[in-house]
Amino acid sequence: MAEDSYTREEENYEDEELDETSFKSVKDAVLFAIDISSSMLTPRPSPDPKKHGDESPASAALKCAYHLMQQRIISNPHDMIGVLLYGTQSSKFYDENEEDRGDLSYPHCYLYTDLDVPSAQEVKQLRSLASPADADDDVRQVLEPSKEPVSMANMLFCANQIFTSKAPNFSSRRLFVVTDNDNPHADNKGMRSAATVRARDLYDLGVNIELFPISQPDHEFDTSKFYDDIIYKTSPSDGDAPAYLQPDTNMSTAKGDGLSLLNSLLSSINSRSVPRRSLFSNVPLEIGPDFKISVNGYLLLKKQEPARSCFVWQGGETAQIAKGVTTLMSDDTGQEIEKADIRKAYKFGGEQVSFTIEEQQALRNFGDPVIRIIGFKPLSALPIWANVKHPSFIYPSEEDYIGSTRVFSALQQKLLDSEKLALVWFIPRKNASPVLAAMIAGAEKIDENGVQKIPPGMWIIPLPFADDVRQNPESNVNRAGDSLNDAMRDVVRQLQLPKGVYEPSKYPNPSLQWHYRILQAIALDEDFPESPDDKTVPKYRQVHKRAGDYILKWAEELKLQASEMFGGSAATSTLVKRGAKTEATGEHPSKRVKVEDSASGVEEEVKKCYQKGTVSKLTVVVLKEFLNAHGRATAGKKADLVDRVEQYFEQKF
Amino acid sequence: MADKEATVYIVDMGRSMGERHHGRPMTDLEWGMQYVWDRITATVATGRKTATIGVVGLRTDGTINDLEEENFSNISVFFGLGQVLMPDIGKLRETIKPSKTNQGDAISSIVIAMQMIIQYTKKNKYKRKIVLVTNGTGVMSDDNIEGIIEKMKEVNIELVIIGADFDDPEYGVKEEDKDSRKAENEKLLRSLAEDCEGVYGTLEQAVSELDIPRIKVTKSMPSFKGNLMLGNPEEYDTAITIPVERYFRTYVAKPISASSFVPRSGTEPGSQAPSGGNNEGDALASVRTSRTYQITDESAPGGKIDVERDDLAKGYEYGRTAVPIEQTDENVANLQTFAGMGLIGFVQKDQYDRYMHMSNANIIIPQRANDNASLALSSLIHALYELESYAVARLVTKETKPPMLVLLAPSIEAEYECLIEIQLPFAEDVRSYRFPPLDKIITVSGKVVTEHRNLPSAALKDAMSNYVDSMNFVTTNDEGEPTNDLPIDESFSPLLHRIESAVRYRAVHPNDPVLDPSERLTEFAHPSEEMVKNSKSDLEKLMSIADVKKVPPKTKGRKRQRETEKPLSGLDVDALLSLEPKRAKISTENAIPEFKQTLSRAENIDVIHDAVQQMGKIIETQITHSLGHSNYDRVIEGLGTMREELVDYEEPMVYNDFVRQLKGKMLREELGGDRRELWWFMRKGKLGLIGKSEVDSSAVEEEEAQEFLAAN
Repeated sequence: MAEDSYTREEENYEDEELDETSFKSVKDAVLFAIDISSSMLTPRPSPDPKKHGDESPASAALKCAYHLMQQRIISNPHDMIGVLLYGTQSSKFYDENEEDRGDLSYPHCYLYTDLDVPSAQEVKQLRSLASPADADDDVRQVLEPSKEPVSMANMLFCANQIFTSKAPNFSSRRLFVVTDNDNPHADNKGMRSAATVRARDLYDLGVNIELFPISQPDHEFDTSKFYDDIIYKTSPSDGDAPAYLQPDTNMSTAKGDGLSLLNSLLSSINSRSVPRRSLFSNVPLEIGPDFKISVNGYLLLKKQEPARSCFVWQGGETAQIAKGVTTLMSDDTGQEIEKADIRKAYKFGGEQVSFTIEEQQALRNFGDPVIRIIGFKPLSALPIWANVKHPSFIYPSEEDYIGSTRVFSALQQKLLDSEKLALVWFIPRKNASPVLAAMIAGAEKIDENGVQKIPPGMWIIPLPFADDVRQNPESNVNRAGDSLNDAMRDVVRQLQLPKGVYEPSKYPNPSLQWHYRILQAIALDEDFPESPDDKTVPKYRQVHKRAGDYILKWAEELKLQASEMFGGSAATSTLVKRGAKTEATGEHPSKRVKVEDSASGVEEEVKKCYQKGTVSKLTVVVLKEFLNAHGRATAGKKADLVDRVEQYFEQKF
Repeated sequence: MADKEATVYIVDMGRSMGERHHGRPMTDLEWGMQYVWDRITATVATGRKTATIGVVGLRTDGTINDLEEENFSNISVFFGLGQVLMPDIGKLRETIKPSKTNQGDAISSIVIAMQMIIQYTKKNKYKRKIVLVTNGTGVMSDDNIEGIIEKMKEVNIELVIIGADFDDPEYGVKEEDKDSRKAENEKLLRSLAEDCEGVYGTLEQAVSELDIPRIKVTKSMPSFKGNLMLGNPEEYDTAITIPVERYFRTYVAKPISASSFVPRSGTEPGSQAPSGGNNEGDALASVRTSRTYQITDESAPGGKIDVERDDLAKGYEYGRTAVPIEQTDENVANLQTFAGMGLIGFVQKDQYDRYMHMSNANIIIPQRANDNASLALSSLIHALYELESYAVARLVTKETKPPMLVLLAPSIEAEYECLIEIQLPFAEDVRSYRFPPLDKIITVSGKVVTEHRNLPSAALKDAMSNYVDSMNFVTTNDEGEPTNDLPIDESFSPLLHRIESAVRYRAVHPNDPVLDPSERLTEFAHPSEEMVKNSKSDLEKLMSIADVKKVPPKTKGRKRQRETEKPLSGLDVDALLSLEPKRAKISTENAIPEFKQTLSRAENIDVIHDAVQQMGKIIETQITHSLGHSNYDRVIEGLGTMREELVDYEEPMVYNDFVRQLKGKMLREELGGDRRELWWFMRKGKLGLIGKSEVDSSAVEEEEAQEFLAAN
């Protein structure tokens, strides 16, 4: 790790989240501390016996940890995660020996997954622990609760040592405590105060304790009994954070039967899956001349891409990633050159026009970072197409200007109430190129478990410049008549998404998930999954069931209007270059609702040839048209096209 | 492909062009050349061989042209039609100077330019153009002007005549006390331009319009051609299939990019050739990169060995496990997909949050020449519009490409219909950072508070509302009527145009400093003066109610309230800590917390000194015992914490003394060998001396602090 940052060039990506203020490395380490007591291990039956919902709090917690581990491999590939079980009969801490009972530093603490970037093996181990029914005895033995109580002070110091040695100098270190015991040392004052001291150590070390409390069936979890002495108000590593959120303890205590417990635990852990990192900090929001407040910017929406492929060396015992080292050489002498010697130049008129480094910088400089309001407009002035990239989210900070929060709040509420946007001149960081942007207010949104889904604040949407707007290409407009529109309206009405809302959480990125699912399978030498679980594929059966009849009605209407508008002799338009139009729409016997002008002719033709085994006799044009209509690639030689067509039919039948 | 171009610039270089008129700081020639150079360099910047330029001097001392007649004397062809390159610009710059004569007929020069174009372009397809820049003095003859006009139209040449101080009532230029010959010339040139259906204008306008950035028009190619489907046509009879095409609606235009060069060996870096930097191109060599691969091998010296590229397999990281992928199943980790746009369902417009837009915008239009498709798509567009709905679809643009989720919104204009398409976030794209509500405060005990210093009072809300309402950004249409638009068409990418014009300017004026961005580019950097004036009183009221106070830089980041360092219950843990007997000495394994706690309890400076000494020992031991860089992160954390705390306690001396010693020991290799890499980390983490700017009482000047970090 240290190597990485030493050798890596300091590349400054526009969107990279930075911590400009600190010597710490911007990384996150999460250690789960899961209480393994008999009550945590008691399954909670689901009220509906048909549903498979029996789940003990401990297994729900382990499932969440497993889920988070998998998720972080994708989203935060360089961040660490670990699992510490406490209250177990057995103990494990690095190479300490189980036999020398007396000498154990941390009895009844079992470090199941060491704090590190997880390996495939560790993912598998955690998975087997999370579903112990399928696991072997060794694994199940780990989950044997201890007969004597565990010392919380000891557990906290154990965590302290893990963080100190495995995640030194991380900007974010978090201990996720999952328990149903709200008063571990009810009758021992000494143990209790020892725990508070150890909690203070963690606070001073910069470790944030986050509690995921679980209520017992007959007893509501009460944080005031013990945990209010353990948990601190502000996170030390996030000093400029706004006054700490109401800790979720009251709002989202996980309770109830197995399934709902798992779900609410998942949702509250998910909401804290990544530490908050700012995109820019303490940038002035200039509301008017000489009137500034300060805000921090965050990326709440960012396209998650699979990590790039790399080179693997397999010559050793374990496969290893080979690190690429780039050297720069002068083209004329072939000698290695220092970065400082490099000059930038633009090609112009067959030569280079060069600028000094200072001049380059001067050209990029349009002033200090700022979000400057230059006026307000109704929200309706923002066209739906006026977008070039994801937005930035801003939230006030009191760091530079006391009173920022109240002023920001007043502005946010005003913009929400009167449905206005602010037009802003936006320079997010030093030497970033300025953009004109629309700043809009966003209201807070809460999910069904009471966990915040979208925070309240404002969003900055960069607008396209005139340079970025493309002209619409020519297109022939045949405006549909009322009856055809009415028919389509009936179809649209039938197929509303739930509540008429797009809910991103329901649509995991299928190619991203598949990619990592396959990598996991290869790494663990397991069988590949048969088919992906792709939630983005439309629900065809539902479309057919709910809207099928309406679609047929619309198709009838389309036929009618088409023949009215274009007549039998559709060839009046000079643009028509394909012949089979009338056949496809007017006289085609099939009910198929196609509006392609010729494809159904092609369709039949290709199908016939396939059955006769004469696909190769078809022309390239026909093959390409057929393939394109079925979403297949149309590149390559004729033989490739023929192969692809045959593949298509083989897969289908 | 853009059309081929043949443009001849005729520059009047007569003696009178070397004069300054009407109090202008530059001569007429210099003024006119602003326009000419801008036009020429704009063409050069395209780098197109087929964008050809010719340059003709009018009223030159000598005569260089093919028509050896007296009528055509004092006219010189300086550059025959062809691509202009950098050396040509330099030569032209040397050549174009005011002459010593006023002889030479502008009309004749137009004839020569025509001749050049006709010879060069023959019957081929070209955009032909002649640009004459003159101050309209001198003798002009209208002999055979009809013939010229006729020929001009026949070969389809656009004639542009731009004149210094030419009267232009439309633009509002009228030269007082105009010379009568000039007035006549202007009349002649104007009628010539108008008869040729060309352009006639005054130089002042032409130069002022150079400021308006020119937008490069890019012809869009479809990024997807395929079917928009509702339902599955392969399985159900009740599926809709509409052939569509997809084009960019917005796409960010990137500034031209610079390439890396190094000074050629033998030339001193930074030395400038006397003739100016435009020859410097010769002195630059391009930069090549080469890549080698290394793996970790603890047994090797330096812990690393080089490996051959051929011995490596392609692969990916899964957590910290390297997963090689055999060539045979290279595509196995890619999801199998087929091209198409499948509708998932519909959402309500008022339920959609505009900030969910993740990408640039595209448009979806029906397949070309497919009336049925356009009719079918039209009904979808109108149905969405009437129901105030959007569609959500899964789009795969090409076989094997990853699917995207897109929003489809109807767009209906007078003569145009399409769907606007924008990418939506997937579950993984949404990061849940949580923030407290802005309209209420929930206390630890769960109580909801609505009056608080962080919440706006009713008066503040009112003042804000009034201010916002007073700052309406006004946009107007061509008729000057207010519109509900954003100024997108009037805003230009500042960086793109600034770099482009800087490159062009530098090409012609190699020794001038870079210019400030033109006013046009920063038009929207500030609210307009009028708006500021109109909203002034509302702003003043808002500011006085808001009562925002700037935090003095010195107190920033300082431990402001010690009392926040208490758990939620408010329990005094410090009291408990002091009862712990074993905490007298700072232990290695719990060093950071114990260091902080010792400082917070310290009653005198000696305790602090002692704590720093203990901590320093621990850090040095960690360095000494570090195998390679194994302890470096811990060392940096310890040092960083120490520095931060001592800045907070305003005890810079103790830290500075320690870090000076530490640096010395490290560089003298007294702490277990070569520790230069650690020193590099310390520099990166800015863990050097605490200077005056951080803590007033520091004896270390800023320069000294910087020098300390810079030196090895």
